[in-house]
Order: sequence, then structure tokens, then C-alpha cells
Amino acid sequence: GDLGPFNPGLPVEVPLWLAINLKQRQKCRLLPPEWMDVEKLEKMRDHERKEETFTPMPSPYYMELTKLLLNHASDNIPKADEIRTLVKDMWDTRIAKLRVSADSFVRQQEAHAKLDNLTLMEINTSGTFLTQALNHMYKLRTNLQPLESTQSQDF
Amino acid sequence: MFVSDFRKEFYEVVQSQRVLLFVASDVDALCACKILQALFQCDHVQYTLVPVSGWQELETAFLEHKEQFHYFILINCGANVDLLDILQPDEDTIFFVCDTHRPVNVVNVYNDTQIKLLIKQDDDLEVPAYEDIFRDEEEDEEHSGNDSDGSEPSEKRTRLEEEIVEQTMRRRQRREWEARRRDILFDYEQYEYHGTSSAMVMFELAWMLSKDLNDMLWWAIVGLTDQWVQDKITQMKYVTDVGVLQRHVSRHNHRNEDEENTLSVDCTRISFEYDLRLVLYQHWSLHDSLCNTSYTAARFKLWSVHGQKRLQEFLADMGLPLKQVKQKFQAMDISLKENLREMIEESANKFGMKDMRVQTFSIHFGFKHKFLASDVVFATMSLMESPEKDGSGTDHFIQALDSLSRSNLDKLYHGLELAKKQLRATQQTIASCLCTNLVISQGPFLYCSLMEGTPDVMLFSRPASLSLLSKHLLKSFVCSTKNRRCKLLPLVMAAPLSVEHGTVTVVGIPPETDMSVLGRGKAAESTSSRMLHNHFDLSVIELKAEDRSKFLDALISLLS
Repeated sequence: GDLGPFNPGLPVEVPLWLAINLKQRQKCRLLPPEWMDVEKLEKMRDHERKEETFTPMPSPYYMELTKLLLNHASDNIPKADEIRTLVKDMWDTRIAKLRVSADSFVRQQEAHAKLDNLTLMEINTSGTFLTQALNHMYKLRTNLQPLESTQSQDF
Repeated sequence: MFVSDFRKEFYEVVQSQRVLLFVASDVDALCACKILQALFQCDHVQYTLVPVSGWQELETAFLEHKEQFHYFILINCGANVDLLDILQPDEDTIFFVCDTHRPVNVVNVYNDTQIKLLIKQDDDLEVPAYEDIFRDEEEDEEHSGNDSDGSEPSEKRTRLEEEIVEQTMRRRQRREWEARRRDILFDYEQYEYHGTSSAMVMFELAWMLSKDLNDMLWWAIVGLTDQWVQDKITQMKYVTDVGVLQRHVSRHNHRNEDEENTLSVDCTRISFEYDLRLVLYQHWSLHDSLCNTSYTAARFKLWSVHGQKRLQEFLADMGLPLKQVKQKFQAMDISLKENLREMIEESANKFGMKDMRVQTFSIHFGFKHKFLASDVVFATMSLMESPEKDGSGTDHFIQALDSLSRSNLDKLYHGLELAKKQLRATQQTIASCLCTNLVISQGPFLYCSLMEGTPDVMLFSRPASLSLLSKHLLKSFVCSTKNRRCKLLPLVMAAPLSVEHGTVTVVGIPPETDMSVLGRGKAAESTSSRMLHNHFDLSVIELKAEDRSKFLDALISLLS
């Protein structure tokens, strides 16, 4: 759609791609999103570690946003290093939980599972592996069954 | 003509056009090119980059691209010759020249339409005034024409006499004027020197556009340091320029002291250092660096056994154990590294080396990477001049250009290794030249020639490496002889360039006290030897090997 008006000194909301492009051309300064703050992220990380299920994340795209902003505009974000460590901690915790639940899913041969509060990035990270593993399990399972029902031929 | 407002008259004109960049092959030009490229990328300016290493390449590239472009930018080439004469451009092409070579050719200065010089005018240029050099040719003709027309036959006699008198007067005046003009031009063009670094000029342009970044500041620093490393500017000018850059550095990098908003470790940080003069010492062992820096090698006279002993005394004086000193610098004990600079400076003073420390800058980003400006200069120079013949000549240029940006650190490290090899080869060649007395005094100058079989001789066929070698050789030679007169003589150095063509590169170096360089074009022309004045630096020429002796004889007669 349309963007603007761009007045010097006044903050304007723009799509991420435009913000990164303007920053690379040195025409703007990026303001970090509200949730990208050390205390808030610390609280979220501790909350995540305590809970067994997944907790809501500050933004459905928190990983992508962090990566892009910290790569291109780390001079505009205060305490960028600590934020990077905190977000990485949260990511690791969530991926570990995902791995555990996928493992139990396959082991117990459940038919379906419900996972709340997963972001798209996490789903894609483990999604292909999970679906392929389930495919293999299905093939192995279906190969087991015909052996029970068929009889050996007599010459 | 000189451009006074860089922004309006240069950048805004160029911003909406396609431009062609001709960049000479030295580190200062590379840095200026990088800054300009960054500015162009910000504003989506279409440009084509053509690296050139000599006049021939410049001419061929110009002929190729003449049709497509109207605006040409020349970096570190073209100010000291008559551009219009050499390139024969069309009427509407415009050249922007940002060059450190001085003196600026008078035609370039006084041409108002086609040549714009991106040079600051307060650079003590001493350009002769317009009236002294150019004179309306037509005035004389018209005068005499008018006089000869419209004269009646009766008065013709007296008129004729008056005419003749006037004409002889005018001719005499004209001859005097021409003689004066020749003198002025001779004085003006006699000595060659260098002005402010082009990288710094480009950085100022970026600053005016408020688009200056820390990265660009670092490139400007590297450009200035390159000029200092190659002895192209005086110490005083270097210190003044360092002061200018220091203000920019503190403007960009003052946020480190604030505890609340410390920058991420990955951001580049430039800091001012009063650091040692030892080349690459943080990436090498201290011992190697002491042996291969020309300053220390010359003062200690390291080509002799006596010199080696003095070096060991020096190290012992500071209390540094030999085993530690020969290790990589990063592996030395921290207790030794702490006061290293002050210790070395004190001991150096005792041994007669007063300028051990020099004002410079260093950059660091990430946890591991810290570089001094001179490190980067040597690395980039070796990348550009490495004798490996893989790919076309522009490959090295592009590699060196890439190594300057932060994301290509592996190229920079590769360049550092090449630089180490180059420095070692330089010192070994100097040692062998001095030990075998290859430096001969030819009367008004000293002469030295590298034979083809010498090891690593291919490393010295490029002009910048050869110039460095010659400068260091001269310094070492001056330290090694007791002959007072030799200290005032310039050095002419020859090294084989290409075995197939049988050509030799010849370089002339001024004596230590005098910054000027004698023009050798006249000597070559007078002997009509087959020489090629290809490089932008007027002190470097290529000769056929057989003509060497003729050239030398002519030079002797010219200078004595």
C-alpha cells in the first residue's frame, strides 16, 4: 500500500523490507520493537524454562526479526549482545521441548498432537524431519502387517 | 578548473547519470573508490569500474567506452598531464579528477568546461597565474593586420617604418614573455610531489552529504596511512591529516564510555593509537617484525653480524627473553605485553631511534580481529601486486578491493601472509645488495640494478614494491656508509620487468632530506631510447634492457 509521509525526526511505521533497505542506504535509523528489551526478554525466558508446554512468544516472527535487526541495525539497538543471547536461549529451550514432544509422539504412535504457541520458524525447522520420520514409521508398520496375514506358498 | 562545492557541482551532477570510474592501482585510490562506491550504492547511481595501471590501459579503456558515457571520474590518475590532449574526448564529456599527483597540469587547471578537479585549493598548489602562461594569440595578428590595411600610399613610407619598429618591439616582448613562461613552467613542473589523500577527499564529500560511516572513516584512514608508508607526504602533513581524522574518529566512536548503551561487540570501533612503528607486529612475532621493518633494520644494520648482536642487546636491555620474542605476538606472555610500547620506546631511544612510535589508528570488531592501519595497507598492497599470474590483471585489483570490506576477512589475512613474504624478500634483497656492494655511485646519483637470477626478483617488478625496496635500500645504504656525500644523492634502481620483452622497470628515489623528484623524461627523450612512460608516477619508467647504459649516461650528463 502507500507509506508515509516521511518527515525528518518523526517515527514512521514501515514494512520490514523497506526499513532494512533504507537503513542500508543510510537514510534512516531503526527503532527496536517494544518487546526487544532486556528485562522483558529475561522474564519471558525464565517463564519458558519453567513451563512444560510452549508459552506465547512476543511476536510470531521473533526469530526472523531478531536476526535481521541485529545484523543490519545493531548500532541502533541498545545492549544488542545480551538480546541476542536471550533470544537464542529462548529458541534453544523451545526447540528442546519440540524435540522431546516429537520423540514421545513417534514412540507412542499417536495419531495427532496439539501444540500451542509455536511460531512458523520452529515448525519449519522440525517439520520436514517429523513428517519424513512418520512416513518411514508408516512404511515399516505396513510392511509388518502383510507378513502376519499371508501364508507361505507350498511347492 | 577547481570544484569549490563538491556536493552541488560534482555529486548532484553525477547522481542521475551513468558514470565510468577509472581507478589507479594504489591503495589510496582503492580506498577512495570504496568510499565512492558506498555512496553510489546508497543512491542507486549506475557506475562502471575500470581499474587501470598505466596510461596505455587508460587510453584503450577510454576509447572503448567513449560512446556510452559522458561523465568520467578519474581517481589518482590524470592530474599531472594534459588530459584533453591525450584522450581527445568529444565536446560534451566531462572529467572529474581526484588525484594526489602534483603539480597539476596547467591546462587542467584553466580549462573551464571539460575538466573539473576535485582537489582542495588550499593545498599549497602555487599554480602560476593565467596571464603568465596563456596569451591571446589573436591580439598580435589583428594589430599587424589592422596596421597594414587602410594605409594610403603617400604616408606608407613613414607608416611602414613605424610598423617595422612596432613589430620588432612586439616580437621582442613576445620572446621575453615566452622565455619567462618557459622558466615559470619549468620551475612549476620540475618537482613532483603528492597532495592530500584522495580517500580523505572522498570522505569529506561523504561527510558533507551526512552519509559518513565508521567504515568510510576507516578507509580514509587507510588511504592516508598508505601515503605515509610510501613516503609520499611529509611527516608534518601526515600529522596534520591525522589530527583532522582524529576529530572524525572521536565523533563516531565516543559511545564506548557510556555503560548504559554499550555497542554490540560486532560493531566496528576505531581508536586512535600512539603505537609502535614495527610493521605487522601484532600478526607476526616481535623478532620478525623488528628484523623486517626498514626503520629498525637500517638503524641496527641487521645485514651484518655486528647488527644482529646489537639487536640481541636491544632485546636483552628490555628484558624480553628470546624464546618469547620469536613466538607469535598473540602467544607472548601478557605480563610482557603490558608495557611493551613504553619499554620499546625507551630502549629505542638509547639505541638512537627516536621515532619509534607514530600516531596511527586501529580498528577492531568482533572478539578476535584487531588491525592497525599500516597492517591493512601492507596487506592490500601485497594483494594488488602479487606476481601470481592467475586471471587477468584486474583480478588482483578486485581481490584487493574486496579485502577492504569487513566481510572478507579471509582475504585480508591472506594479504597479511603475502605481505610478510614481501617484507622478508625486501630485507633479504637489501642485505644481499649491501653485502655485495651492488650500489654504485655514478657521480650525481647512486645506481643499483637487480639481476634476473636474484631470488624473489619477480616480486619487485611492480612499481610500488620496487619503490618501497628502493627507498629502504637508500635508507639502509645511508646508514651503512661513512661517506657524507652519499647521503645527499638520489638513487636510481632497476629491476627486470618481463623476460620475454626484455624490459626493465626503473625507479628514481630522492635523497632523504629532499622530498622532490627529478624528472627523468627529458633524459630518456634525449637518448631516444625505447622507453615507456606508462605509470602515473612520473618517477617510474620502463626501458628496454639494452638501452639501460645509454639512459644512465644521459641521466649523468643531465644531472651534473
